[in-house]
Amino acid sequence: METVRLSVYRHDPSVEREGKYVDYDVPKEEGMVVLDAMKYIEKHIDPNISLRWNCSAGKCGSCSAEINHRPALMCKTRVDSLKEGKITVSPIAAYPLIKDVVTDVSENWALLKRIPKFTPKEGLEKPWKMSQVDIERSKEFKKCIECFLCQNVCHVIREHDTDYFGPRHVVKAASLDMHPLDALDRSEFMNRDAGLGYCNITKCCTEVCPEEIHITDNAIIPEKERAVNAQYDPLAMLIRSRRNRSGRK
Amino acid sequence: MEIYLVEIFDYDLVIVGSGLAGLRAAIEAAKVGRDKLRIAIIAKNQLMRPHSISAEGGSAAVLYMDEGDSFDLHAYDTIKGSDYLCDQDIVEFFVRQAPVDILELEHWGIPWARRDDGRIAQRPFGGHSYPRATFASDRTGFYEVHALYDTMLKHHNIDKFHEQFVYDFIIENNKFKGVMAFDIPTGQVRIFKARAGIIATGGLGRLYGYTTYSHLVTGDGLAVALRRGMKLKDIEFVQFHPTGLVPSGILITEGVRGDGGILRNAKGERFMEKYAPTKKDLAPRDIVSRSMMTEILEGRGFKGPDGLDYLLLDFSPIGAEKIKEKLSQVREIGNHYVGIDPVDSPLPVRPSAHYTMGGIDVTRTGFTGVTGLWAAGETACLSIHGSNRLGANSTSECVVFGKIAGEDSAKWLLSNDGTINLSEGDSAYAENFLADAYKDKGDNDPYDIKRELWTTMDRDAYVFRNESGLTEGLKIIRGLIEKSRKISISEKGNVYNQNLIASLEMKNLVELAEVVVNSALERRESRGSHFRTDYPKRDDENYLKHTIAQRVNGALSITYRPVTLTKWKPEPRVY
Repeated sequence: METVRLSVYRHDPSVEREGKYVDYDVPKEEGMVVLDAMKYIEKHIDPNISLRWNCSAGKCGSCSAEINHRPALMCKTRVDSLKEGKITVSPIAAYPLIKDVVTDVSENWALLKRIPKFTPKEGLEKPWKMSQVDIERSKEFKKCIECFLCQNVCHVIREHDTDYFGPRHVVKAASLDMHPLDALDRSEFMNRDAGLGYCNITKCCTEVCPEEIHITDNAIIPEKERAVNAQYDPLAMLIRSRRNRSGRK
Repeated sequence: MEIYLVEIFDYDLVIVGSGLAGLRAAIEAAKVGRDKLRIAIIAKNQLMRPHSISAEGGSAAVLYMDEGDSFDLHAYDTIKGSDYLCDQDIVEFFVRQAPVDILELEHWGIPWARRDDGRIAQRPFGGHSYPRATFASDRTGFYEVHALYDTMLKHHNIDKFHEQFVYDFIIENNKFKGVMAFDIPTGQVRIFKARAGIIATGGLGRLYGYTTYSHLVTGDGLAVALRRGMKLKDIEFVQFHPTGLVPSGILITEGVRGDGGILRNAKGERFMEKYAPTKKDLAPRDIVSRSMMTEILEGRGFKGPDGLDYLLLDFSPIGAEKIKEKLSQVREIGNHYVGIDPVDSPLPVRPSAHYTMGGIDVTRTGFTGVTGLWAAGETACLSIHGSNRLGANSTSECVVFGKIAGEDSAKWLLSNDGTINLSEGDSAYAENFLADAYKDKGDNDPYDIKRELWTTMDRDAYVFRNESGLTEGLKIIRGLIEKSRKISISEKGNVYNQNLIASLEMKNLVELAEVVVNSALERRESRGSHFRTDYPKRDDENYLKHTIAQRVNGALSITYRPVTLTKWKPEPRVY
């Protein structure tokens, strides 16, 4: 039977200081995805391996990993789409390791909590009316499954210690800002508190998004533009300077 | 392996499960409790990844009475769809409440699809005689979960616990005192003391090998309820969704047929015209699934891998434009998992285990009969779906009855003071249970047992059932229960121990399988999703009644309770 060799990062930080790559040969099947191969290892070769997975249909965002050192969902990466030879599977590197390919992404829950919530405009007549076109704009961002691959690939997060929340969170802010009946503008918050300015639009996040959200072009750049417009709008600057002069905040 | 001393948390309300019902319950309890109650929501997965996100097609609600829909029509459709096994008073209540709660979700930010006049659009769905499935593309459940999760974040008195495996409830003298769990990332044993609890752990779909269910839906809440002596109602009724994608079982939404897609056999015939001349491809799911299996068994299907013979779902009547707009996710699934773009070619489909009509026997507020304990969503059986659920009714049910369970439990908490004192034995029991779970008790492999269970259920308790198959199945399952007591798990570590989780889930599944198969064996008629080839007719004289399964002194007892009828008399079910 034809087999495929996986080289999987194995590390239990509670008992060992360093991890290592372990090779496993798995029978290759038609249409097999990397998650199938990993499940095969768990069930037939080494039950000690830890995986986080759930829907196996690309909807839940649980099974993020680095496959051949590229961030990807294990359930959405077909084995036959990868180049010949050994497939390496390792945990996403931007977050603390729990075990093997399972990471602790919980800091994202705290960041999400800080983004101002959906706040409908006041005095809207019921039932609400919206047009499908306007809905679609917000829905592009609402598609995010929180796999955090974009966070993983973001060099600002990986290499620098800043207060930048990361692409997932800009997408969240955009999903609310673009809601046709939302009353808030989160760009100022994103700029001031969420470190949006650190993003230098290298578009790596957009490349890895399994939902194909145009993170940089449709979420980050518009949020940046709005923040800048508010900051450098001559009228707003004048008002701010007068307020400062009169001692008001 | 190391068992830590148990860590104890103290709450007013603990909600187990973070799907639509659990989230909705948490929000309502926080609101009714005026943010004074201390609430914990805990789940086996990361909280925003429940199985509810997989719901695709829509949520049923009567929104356009001025245009011809009505509460009576929705109720009648649901009752006829249930093959008259639902409780009609509950259904009448449900259809009146659904529009209120569906509109409320819009105010919490969900992007419901629109019509040209800017109002909410609705799509046709199987068994509904009016297009009343409110939807957001083909990811309705996903958007609902996120709208609810975001709303829940506004309440600061709800503590969130991700990745907790609940293995028992503490119930003393029929009074709920809390739940026992372990923290999956660390293996830490935890007791969540609480004056009230809500079980919202979903169905039992992972009893089957070929299923649309997520990995995590292993009936944990149902299994604990069974062990703790609670009643499980109508559990033999498992829905098989007609269009599971072969070979994975991934759900292809009924919205495809709602929007015009049709099923074809190997001869290219639109065979549903034969079985349901009026509704055709949009007949209720039990009828479509049965018709499909008849086509396959009579040799008009295609040969599939591992015995998964299939039929085709033809998208061509929908048109490329509409497929791209309204069914984008389905298109992506086709492209990705079988390399077929439904715009160009049909998808291979076959009925796939999809929903648990039965559940914990509860009152209309979700009360379980154990003081301080409620259940909501797919875990609970209010008898809205009877023997066959209509598409788009389950997400609505979760929202409607999640809210009610949250409200009722919060009101009860506000009017009943008290503190929970654990007995001396509780902590020791919690620790010992887990220590024991790690121990080797024999050489059976939990994964092997699960595989055998799947083969058995897929064969003997699928769309068509009969006495000999069910009897044989029951024998095998009882053997598996024995085997499940003599297993060893090879992973002994504390951290993210999936071997331990798999073995506990497997035990839950085999015990529930016994109830499903036993209840099915005892129901010698065909009704809704439960079709007996040896008793192919509905028998209202003997079986217009709910099955109540309960463990009494270790043995399973099966009794019955009458169905509540209001104004709809049982009639032949023709579509």
